[in-house]
Amino acid sequence: MTVPVALLVVVVAVTAALLSVTATAVVGWRRFARLRTEYRSTARAAIPSVAVLAGVLGINSVVREVGVEISWLIGWNITGEIYAIEGNLVPAIQSFAHPWLTTYFSLIYVYGYVFLLTFPLVAYLVLEDMEWFRTTAIAYALNYAIGLVMYLLFIAYGPRNLLPDLTEPLLYTNWPSSQFLVSEVNANTNVFPSLHTSLSVTVIVLAYRTRRVYPRWLPIATLVGGSVVVSTMYLAIHWGLDVLAGIGLGVGSVWLARTYAGADDVDSLAELGSDPFGSLRRAISRLWNAR
Amino acid sequence: MEPSDATAPLSRRKLLGGVSVGLATSSAGCLQYARSLVNRDSPQQVSVTIKTVPADDDEAAVQIARTLQKHMTASGIDAEIELLEASELFRDVLLNQSFDVYVAQFPPHHDPDFLRSALHSRFVTEQGWQNPFGVSDLGLDERLADQRTTTGNDRQRAVASVVESVAEIQPFAMACFPKDITVVRTDRFDNWGTDGLDAPFSYLALERPEDAPNGDPTTLRIVQTDDRITKNLNPIAVEYRRPNPLTDVLYDPLARRYDGDIRPWLATDVTWRRLDDTGVTATVELRDGLSWHDGQALTAADVVFTYRFLDDTSLGTGNMSVPSPRFRDRTSLVESIERLDDRTVRFGFGDTVEAVAARALTVPVLPSHVWEEKTGNTNIAGIDISEGVTQALVWANTEPVGSGPFRVESRTPAERLVLSRFDDHFLVGGGPDRFHVPFERLVVRMAPSDAAAVSLVTDGAVDATGDPVNPRVLDSVAEEGPIAVHVEDSRSFYHVGFNARREPFGNVRFRQAIARLVDAEYVAETVFDGYARPAATPLAGTSWEPPEFRWAESDPVVPFAGTDGELDVSTARNAFREAGYAYDDDGRLLK
Repeated sequence: MTVPVALLVVVVAVTAALLSVTATAVVGWRRFARLRTEYRSTARAAIPSVAVLAGVLGINSVVREVGVEISWLIGWNITGEIYAIEGNLVPAIQSFAHPWLTTYFSLIYVYGYVFLLTFPLVAYLVLEDMEWFRTTAIAYALNYAIGLVMYLLFIAYGPRNLLPDLTEPLLYTNWPSSQFLVSEVNANTNVFPSLHTSLSVTVIVLAYRTRRVYPRWLPIATLVGGSVVVSTMYLAIHWGLDVLAGIGLGVGSVWLARTYAGADDVDSLAELGSDPFGSLRRAISRLWNAR
Repeated sequence: MEPSDATAPLSRRKLLGGVSVGLATSSAGCLQYARSLVNRDSPQQVSVTIKTVPADDDEAAVQIARTLQKHMTASGIDAEIELLEASELFRDVLLNQSFDVYVAQFPPHHDPDFLRSALHSRFVTEQGWQNPFGVSDLGLDERLADQRTTTGNDRQRAVASVVESVAEIQPFAMACFPKDITVVRTDRFDNWGTDGLDAPFSYLALERPEDAPNGDPTTLRIVQTDDRITKNLNPIAVEYRRPNPLTDVLYDPLARRYDGDIRPWLATDVTWRRLDDTGVTATVELRDGLSWHDGQALTAADVVFTYRFLDDTSLGTGNMSVPSPRFRDRTSLVESIERLDDRTVRFGFGDTVEAVAARALTVPVLPSHVWEEKTGNTNIAGIDISEGVTQALVWANTEPVGSGPFRVESRTPAERLVLSRFDDHFLVGGGPDRFHVPFERLVVRMAPSDAAAVSLVTDGAVDATGDPVNPRVLDSVAEEGPIAVHVEDSRSFYHVGFNARREPFGNVRFRQAIARLVDAEYVAETVFDGYARPAATPLAGTSWEPPEFRWAESDPVVPFAGTDGELDVSTARNAFREAGYAYDDDGRLLK
């Protein structure tokens, strides 16, 4: 499905505006000033983690197309099981629906989410220590990679698709064209786990870990990220269990990124992508020499 | 509440434990007692999975499934809904017969003879819409055969007795005939929703308004939510074709039904004869100078090939006959076919009547030079049949060679399909005067839901919705300016299909009791917002419908067990009790 161009332009413009306002308040221009003289070294340091993230996103976009076909072959259809376990949680959340809330959560689900994911990449990039930038990029990549595997294994439709009698697809009834954007990113069988939730949780956990560097970012990230998590259920796109699994994935991704993805690992991972045969050769010769 | 140990019935495990103790100490009589207990299945709760498509694809189907699920649960049945994408659903239902109950629309038909292939026990092992329910009833078989060989009042009576049988047997529970709702723009093309024509065929009757604004006048833009057409263009792949499929404009039949009658299409002339010894025959003369999209000539040999091939897509090369699952109701009418010359074919239909036999002429004609290579056997994951599946049934046919007024120009899976005018077609500069080809290209875009599809029409990005939209989205449509809403009766009824091969659906009384859980009147009013007509028979709304089976505020045979959509639980449960089923103390229905 093609995304309407006008919608894309608006999303980019809104995100840019939110980024610059927040950057001024949270990061401060002095940190950006450093980039004027050190942009080369910063870029060099950022490239490996960006390459890994881009690689995962690239694989994701290719596999997503065939992934739906694969998961119908091997996947486990768990929509009925999810509903049997959690019952009418989402309809209960939707009973608080109000036009203002719907507008708020709709904007949060689309604009808030894009802003929430892009801001850490900007904020951690200007720090002298690239550790947090690397952790963020790798944690994002892990979210997508693990999410992709789970989407292959589990087929699940969201509450709006199973319970049209109890839920209202609030986002799409009030803002139909947003569905072109959302369905471009996700097939409607991919709801378990909620990547909106997992990535938001990743950002919140990182904001907590870096609260000394960016004290003002933690409350913003918590508010926006928390709202994104609630919005997935409020808009009847995700089940409570998708959100729970998403929280697990979000926290787990940060932990994995911190524990296993040091600068060297990321370098060699990025190298594997750019020069697979060379790095394979080097790996073999290392093993050979170690013998 | 947990029952106390003292009163709990012995579980198998406890019994088995007892048996091992018994082995050491007890007599043979005690062992025999234990054995007869252990090997006896205790009654279990009736458990049903209802299969249907997600709300993004067909909200009404899910709503019907939800109502049924709730009413089944209230009746003590363990009911679950399984959502599947359309091609998966129909693969399960029509090819693998792997379902308990499903909710969907039946393909549209105009002559009651379609019930013969849908319900005759002869078709019980076949794929497609050939008796997917697995019912076999000798009385019904006889009545279905009768209606095929009679005319006039005799046939009317024969059809009425078929309807009576079907209502009693309940191979499926009727819900309603919906109205097809299309949202269109009239600024670039006009004359939408012409009576007697179904989309996409009706696009050939569109007109260009005189005051049309600037912009590309040669492209008609359609939006659909069903993206199966972008993945598979095989006209006989039944799981990928929806009612009124777009493949209808790619492939031409010998004759088409429009304006209420079957009229010559690729044929110029059809001559019917009826002789006592040979039965009904039809001599069909083709138009002059017909050709396929690849430039090869379309001749009588292609026509003969098509009917032989659809009857057995292996053309006798395998060790079993593999009929095409689509058009089987029509090809099964043909007893013989013979090429008289390059432009003439003679069909033999045996003992039947012209009105029924004419349906056989409405199947698409296929090019022999493309399809005769597809007769080989094949295995493909997802269809659990090791033999008897030819390549013809499973290939995607992404570059179709037809003879229809449009050919495929390009295709992006799940995104778009672009058709372009076939300039050698007889409609381009001639043909039946109602039709012409008023545009050079037909662009079909995909949208994730009905609401998103309608938003493209109102935003002016496309000219019309290509598949019917749910009435709920009309709330956001203001019929002003160039935006118009067209509503037409559909012959494609919603139903709840039962699999009689699976217990307890093999029991006609059980099916009747389940059918009483569906309130078609309430469904039509609430789920369809009134854009549907509740129906008790699949022939409702036609001249074939017997008056005693007409809908009169409730179903005359299996009335809803409740009022205004509200189930009366004791009535529903009594229906199951009367059918011979029992409830346990927890109110669960046992099988």
